[in-house]
Amino acid sequence: MTAQVAAETAVDTRMSMDEGVVDAESIDSMYLTFAVGEEDYGMSIGMVTEIVGMQRIMVVPDVPDYIKGVINLRGKVIPLMDVRLRFGMNERPYDDRTVVIVLEVNDAPMGLIVDRVREVIDIPDGNIDAASGFGSGDGRSVVSGLGRVDERVVILLDVPLLVSDMDVIAPKLAKA
Amino acid sequence: MSANPEATSEKSSGGALLRVSSDKIGRLMDLVGELSLSVSETVNSPDLAGLDLVGFDAAAHRLSMIVREVQDAATELRLVPVGEVFRRLKRMIRELERETGKIIDLDIVGADTAIDKLVADKLYDPLLHVVRNSADHGLEPPDERVANGKSKKGMIRLAAQQVGSEVRIQVIDDGRGLNREKILKIARKRGFFGEREEPEPERLWKVIFEPGFSTAEKVSTLSGRGVGMDVLNTTMTDLRGRIAVDSEENNGTTVSLHIPVSLAFLDSILLRLGKQLFTVPVDDVAEIVKPGMSDLVGVSASKGTEMLKLRGSFIPVLRLEKFYGAKTTNLTPLVDMVCIVFQTTRGAIAVPVDEVLDRQQVVMKPLVGSLAKVRASWGCALLASGEVAIVLDCERLASGEER
Repeated sequence: MTAQVAAETAVDTRMSMDEGVVDAESIDSMYLTFAVGEEDYGMSIGMVTEIVGMQRIMVVPDVPDYIKGVINLRGKVIPLMDVRLRFGMNERPYDDRTVVIVLEVNDAPMGLIVDRVREVIDIPDGNIDAASGFGSGDGRSVVSGLGRVDERVVILLDVPLLVSDMDVIAPKLAKA
Repeated sequence: MSANPEATSEKSSGGALLRVSSDKIGRLMDLVGELSLSVSETVNSPDLAGLDLVGFDAAAHRLSMIVREVQDAATELRLVPVGEVFRRLKRMIRELERETGKIIDLDIVGADTAIDKLVADKLYDPLLHVVRNSADHGLEPPDERVANGKSKKGMIRLAAQQVGSEVRIQVIDDGRGLNREKILKIARKRGFFGEREEPEPERLWKVIFEPGFSTAEKVSTLSGRGVGMDVLNTTMTDLRGRIAVDSEENNGTTVSLHIPVSLAFLDSILLRLGKQLFTVPVDDVAEIVKPGMSDLVGVSASKGTEMLKLRGSFIPVLRLEKFYGAKTTNLTPLVDMVCIVFQTTRGAIAVPVDEVLDRQQVVMKPLVGSLAKVRASWGCALLASGEVAIVLDCERLASGEER
């Protein structure tokens, strides 16, 4: 079981959220950051309900490839999206750092399988650059912006678009 | 756990009623489901294997019993007497009397029949349409009734009764009955039947539920727009219910609605196909067949359709892998599988699965978000083991419907 991972993560989240509240009045500029491959991603914490360890996935029919199945989280059936597959990256076996970020978007639950979560950080609007150059071709880009945090770049995601079944342009970033 | 004290006090205080939001009860139900899962996980923990734990076993048994009782009690919270819906209809009937100038005797039977609150809430509108139709089209004006040798007062009976896991709600009137010729004429004009076809009464009456079907020459404020029966149809599909109509010339019409008592629980048969779990409502399963080599016919001329021979008739085999467009290259040969035969309105279909696991009372959940697109499904089911299965709707499977 990876409950331990989940518990640690939850603590991390809470701690850094508390710090964040001191810095900023609202949670609007708070982002949960996580890693997929070598890249750092971030999403607004507003839609995140919890972070849990990897659970037993049950396969369901008639869903896109990137929906790996569902989990039963305390009586709630939550579909799991493998973010790697959604981005067109190679699948990777799940390990004990793989976690599920549970979201509630438009009243529907969704779990995102990511390689690992990092932290909750505050990225003021002034530190976010528009993600130009991602919008060509078919579909819309799931990248809503690029956040500058110290020397790092965090790719901010358009979560409602990400969890929809629309075709999206996966982020293909050169290392910043 | 905030829902707990409120919910239990409703039971213990007997007659006094308490308004509790359905969200709270829903949460309680979720928690109870979770509780029973954790208990079964604990009691059946592999860590306990081989240990001789007399005291523990007795305590675990007691605990499991209590959990089951809590589960039953929680389920009951959602049940309300169907009489609440009938009472609202009663008011409507008084109004109808004024508007139509007819005298209507309302008879209510089985008002204390228990039904899921969610179902009860959805039942008023469709029932209203049936009652309106009875009052407007079914019952004759007083003088016509007297001329036909009937009492001046028309009768509408609302009857509810639990039949197995279903509740049957009937709207019975003693009016003029459905007019076979009139309905058949319109049904033929709309193309439901061929010019020469003489359908069985049961099949014919069903067309009155088709969208836009109305025999009323004049559209009144009460009915005749042909939308009412359509509402009934849609709601019944949502509620996993069935409609039946029976009518006799000059003796009246009976509309029967068969609805599952609870939308949350489903008596189902659990099936496994590859790594996927499915369940089907027990009532939908006509037969379970282990096909032999000689019972199977492949029709390569028709995209490799397979047929199952069952007592002389051929039943099309519907592979779930194909239906759901899975990228499977090697389908298991049918002789190694078990076929579930469903009797649908489009005829029988046989659905092969790897294994029939169990018959189980499962908790139903709607499919939301990215799962809403799963076809031919009523929802998903939470099994006692904590696993999740897709509940198949054999009607939509048979129709090959896209959504």
